[in-house]
Amino acid sequence: MANNPPKFISNLLERFCEPFLYEGIRGDLEELFFIDCQKRGVQKAKVIYILRALRFFRFAFLRKGIKLKINFEPMLRNYLNITLRTFKKHKVYVFINILGLAIGMASGFIILQYVAFELGYDQFFEDKENIYRIQTNRYNNGELTTQWAAGAAGAGYHIKKNFPEIQDYTQLHWSEAMFSVDKKYFKPKFAYYASASFFEVMGLSLLRGNDSTALKDPFTVVLSEEMSQRLFGTENPIGKKIRQNDSNDYTVTGIFRNFPENSHMKFDVLYSFATYIDFNGENVKTSLSWDGFLNYVRLRPDANYRTLQSKLTPVIDKIYEMDENYSVDSKIELILQPLDDIHLNSDFRREIKPNGNARTTYFLAVIGLFVLFIAWINYINLTTANSMKRAKEVGIRKVLGSFKKQLIGQFMFESAFINVVALLIAATIAFFSIPYFNRYIGRSTDFVLPEQTWFWAGIIIVFLSGIILSGFYPSIILSSFKPVIILKGAFSRSSKGSALRKGLVIFQYLSSVILITGTYVVYQQMQFLKQQDLGVDIEQTMVINAPIMTTSDSVHVSKINVFKTGLLANASIDAVTTSTAIPGSSPGWNAGGIRLLRQPESERNQYRVIGCDNEFLDFYGLEVIAGRGFDKSFGNEANNVLVNEASLPTLGIQHMEDVLNKKMDFWGDTFNVVGVVKNYRQESPKSAYDGHIFRYDDWWNGYYSVKVQTSNISETIAHIDNNWRDVFGEQPLDFFFLDEHYERQYKSEMNFGSIFGFFSILAIIVACLGLFGLSSFMTSIRVKEVSVRKVLGASFTNLWTLMTGDFLSLILIAIVISVPISWWLMSRWLDNFANRINMSWELFMIPAILLIFISVLTVSYHTIKTALLNPAESLKDE
Amino acid sequence: MKGTQLGELEELVLLTVAALYDDAYGIAIMNEIKERAKRSISISTVHAVLKRLEDKGFMSSRYDGATPERGGRRKHLFRVTASGEKALKNSREIRNELWDQIPKVAFGNG
Repeated sequence: MANNPPKFISNLLERFCEPFLYEGIRGDLEELFFIDCQKRGVQKAKVIYILRALRFFRFAFLRKGIKLKINFEPMLRNYLNITLRTFKKHKVYVFINILGLAIGMASGFIILQYVAFELGYDQFFEDKENIYRIQTNRYNNGELTTQWAAGAAGAGYHIKKNFPEIQDYTQLHWSEAMFSVDKKYFKPKFAYYASASFFEVMGLSLLRGNDSTALKDPFTVVLSEEMSQRLFGTENPIGKKIRQNDSNDYTVTGIFRNFPENSHMKFDVLYSFATYIDFNGENVKTSLSWDGFLNYVRLRPDANYRTLQSKLTPVIDKIYEMDENYSVDSKIELILQPLDDIHLNSDFRREIKPNGNARTTYFLAVIGLFVLFIAWINYINLTTANSMKRAKEVGIRKVLGSFKKQLIGQFMFESAFINVVALLIAATIAFFSIPYFNRYIGRSTDFVLPEQTWFWAGIIIVFLSGIILSGFYPSIILSSFKPVIILKGAFSRSSKGSALRKGLVIFQYLSSVILITGTYVVYQQMQFLKQQDLGVDIEQTMVINAPIMTTSDSVHVSKINVFKTGLLANASIDAVTTSTAIPGSSPGWNAGGIRLLRQPESERNQYRVIGCDNEFLDFYGLEVIAGRGFDKSFGNEANNVLVNEASLPTLGIQHMEDVLNKKMDFWGDTFNVVGVVKNYRQESPKSAYDGHIFRYDDWWNGYYSVKVQTSNISETIAHIDNNWRDVFGEQPLDFFFLDEHYERQYKSEMNFGSIFGFFSILAIIVACLGLFGLSSFMTSIRVKEVSVRKVLGASFTNLWTLMTGDFLSLILIAIVISVPISWWLMSRWLDNFANRINMSWELFMIPAILLIFISVLTVSYHTIKTALLNPAESLKDE
Repeated sequence: MKGTQLGELEELVLLTVAALYDDAYGIAIMNEIKERAKRSISISTVHAVLKRLEDKGFMSSRYDGATPERGGRRKHLFRVTASGEKALKNSREIRNELWDQIPKVAFGNG
């Protein structure tokens, strides 16, 4: 019979439903089905039948009886009741558990949020797997010397020409120009010239304007949403003009979306690359010796970048070999770098903005997990220890007929309960502290976490594994007690349980001691960096970004001199110097192909060049250790150069005096070396010394450094501003203080140090909480033993050492295991620094002693209390 | 307290059962409510309410009247018990008293 209702659903319902009710329900369903069949046809009636039947699966119709035993509601209520009663009885234990778990989870979330943010960099590019940056590695005599985010102007062009796998390429070159709209001046931080293909290569589309033609013509510009807002408010900016450096007008042809914070790219303004070609000639499209361009390529979807990379190097080598300025000894290698690899794995020269660090990120992730594990272990330890006290309860329950399953249910329920409460507290803590954390670590305050589906998955995983990890073991132990033994009173400590507990305590202390050692090493390294003799005086220095040259060179030189003299007229200003670079960043001028004339052609090398005036060395307190510095009394120094100590080896000099009066070939011109400057920390105390060459001129137009006295600083600034306006007119005075600028170079490490420290302290607190709870249980079990010992004449010291020693031995084991692990981890971290402390025993001793001290203190609270107890009190009943 | 009060839907079903007297089973009750009160209630809801009312002791039930449309299954027939009647009357009295206390002007068309 075709028009029978579907059987499976009624069979299911029959199993589920109370038999007494079932016949009526089934009858009604069939009757309705019969009516539906006539009204709407059999097919529809069947569907309706199923839907209708499904709605009968409710608690109200649930079959009562022993066979199914899923009488949930009262059971859960019972679980809850017992849970609350138990918690009321053991307040301290519950408090410690929840607090520990909450701290652990909150740290987990905070760190997870950071790690998620760091790993999420550049994920918004839709075709990120097809987009690669061409990164440059430079070798000197076969040794990798510098790694650059930027590279040759023609890198993209030549790769595309030789490899069909490349769909298209784009070039970028930064611009330090200032621009103005209606005489209002702006100095954008992130301004670049970009070729017309930029948006198509990156797979981005403009908010306004045409993706493929907006940057096609010379003197066109596209703005970021933010910049457009700043310049033109809500007006449509398309077709408006902006004036660059008071001389060239650009037409706005498009608006692009602001790049998200978690991208290695950030732009305020993109001028068309065609303009750059207009300024500098066609050569800039293809030149391989013209450096300092960011190149991105888009691969065809079917191409493999590793295969391409292996084919790339020989071809590029061949092209370079044809170039006359190229020597095999200063080899250049072009590397295809996946887009989402840039943020974490490259912090090269000329990045668009400072990048992150994979190692730091993973370090933090490990710390977060440590804290979480420590908290879970607390729970396991405390619960199993507490089980001694609940053994009788379990025994009675079993005698009264509890199933093992139900006992496990009870303990799992308690675990879930504690986990839920801890989770809520942790979420609250995390929610309120993440903004502070982000601000501190210098990342955006975007709250990225809740947007990611995997984060919710993560919470659920953490939560479930928390319940299972922390609840499963205790509940198995507890429910496996044999009632007869317990109730006879013969139950004592189970040795198996305590062995595991000991193992967990060791693990807990292992994690803690590694964290403390890590913190201590980081702290020592930071102190080491701070106390470094920089070799350069950066105090009380104000640095002004030089103005745009709008006049001819000679007029500009005299302007600078007027400005200098004007400043020095103020008694609060001690000195002024002009230079192309200032301490706190690697000099932007990287010159290759330099050698002493007596060196062979193959010994051409690159050096970082600083152009400066006569005052520079004195101003920054740089020491000349051979020859002399630049000096007015020697007339025009334009043909003389200085070198620093670090450049001597590559110049082929062993004794520094030998370099004096040697001739140097610098891009075809010959210079005379007149002095050697002592090494100093140009970039930051963390980096190694780098080869520098100092060139003289009195019109360098990078930075004007001003040494100011700190008293009445605002008056001094006003004085500088007045002079500035007199000499340079409308351009805004843009200045900063050098010590801040310099510290920024290693600020991220300092922050990392404090974060490390902060979470280590949390870990120690959580571990101590656990130890505190654990020692309370362990001593309470031994009260009688201690009393008997006391009666037999044991002294207070005997008893204290007896009980504290138990814990101490665990901690000592943990410390011994930790040493090689921390040694390995921390040497890896220290490898980040060219300038670093050496590993020594004290780095491990001091944290260990500290931890022992804290732990003994924690445990002693209970051991002393127990040891002082009057034996009569505990022995009177039994 | 539980078990002595009548919910709105419970009262409706109880009244319908009383009105249908000897033919009060799931579908009949559902149809009657649909016709009189213009309310669509699913059959599972009707059964749930019936079970609740029976648990409260306001109704008794028996099985009778198998038909071929029902696949030969009997109907689960309900009847209002004395305590059900009391609960209905009680609820009606409360309403009447409240109605009586409403001053004529309260509804505005005095």
